[in-house]
Amino acid sequence: MMGQVYFGIFAAVAVFCALSVMFSRHPINGAMALIGTMVSLAGIYSLIASPFLATIQILVYAGAIMMLVVFVIMVLNSAKEHTIPVVDGMGPLGLLSAASLGALFIRVFVGLDDKASVKMNPQAPRGDVEAISQTLFGSGTHTGGWALLFLAIGLVLLTAIVGAVLLAKRHLDTPIAQTEGGH
Amino acid sequence: MDSIPLFQLQILSAILFAIGFGTVLIRRNLFFVLMGVELMLNAANLSFLAWSRVQSGASTLEGQVAPLFSIAIAAAEACVGLAMLLAVFRSRESLDTDAFSRMKG
Repeated sequence: MMGQVYFGIFAAVAVFCALSVMFSRHPINGAMALIGTMVSLAGIYSLIASPFLATIQILVYAGAIMMLVVFVIMVLNSAKEHTIPVVDGMGPLGLLSAASLGALFIRVFVGLDDKASVKMNPQAPRGDVEAISQTLFGSGTHTGGWALLFLAIGLVLLTAIVGAVLLAKRHLDTPIAQTEGGH
Repeated sequence: MDSIPLFQLQILSAILFAIGFGTVLIRRNLFFVLMGVELMLNAANLSFLAWSRVQSGASTLEGQVAPLFSIAIAAAEACVGLAMLLAVFRSRESLDTDAFSRMKG
């Protein structure tokens, strides 16, 4: 019973913060609201017995990724951003298509025929660190090649770092030391 | 533990995805476009986790491993996206998406 109450609170906070991401004026306000959404989603994750994912959500999403976003917002903090209108003439059309997409999703879930057969399984294993690492790196029969994907993710992140450094440099032919020297 | 009905989780995920999609569509500031994409990724992760509780029998935790990879990809996406945003800001001195219309026919 208490879980249902907590879920209601977290869901209301998540939707409210997401709406204020949509309509806030300054990017910093939007980023703070997005952090609110991510933290309440982490609460929901731990309610559905996934404590490891909840921790990762807070550490990586609300911590690292949003820190990067806020950092870049502050680097580019120019007064001109305030002159960009929040919504322009195409706004109502965009809202309409987003609302119809959401309505389509909800219609699919509500209109399922055998709703009773799709239920939460109370015996489903709890997603703590040990169970997740067994699925990721274990040598049992249930490993779906996740360890290989885990290595591939390392390559993807390395490529992303190199690409980001190359993109953010002022000129492609200046060495990094010169760029940092303030030339 | 008492379980939250699956359909409430899925409907919350659908609402968050639609809000993120709307943010990408209607906002003209590039930062909000990136944040809308992050919101959509979060909604998809919530859906993954909710379905992972449904499996029965010899249930594995693969529905909870997939969001891990999704989060790693989101980190790479934010990294490259913000670097592109910086580069594009340097060339145009603006974050308004209407300023980037050189390829318009």
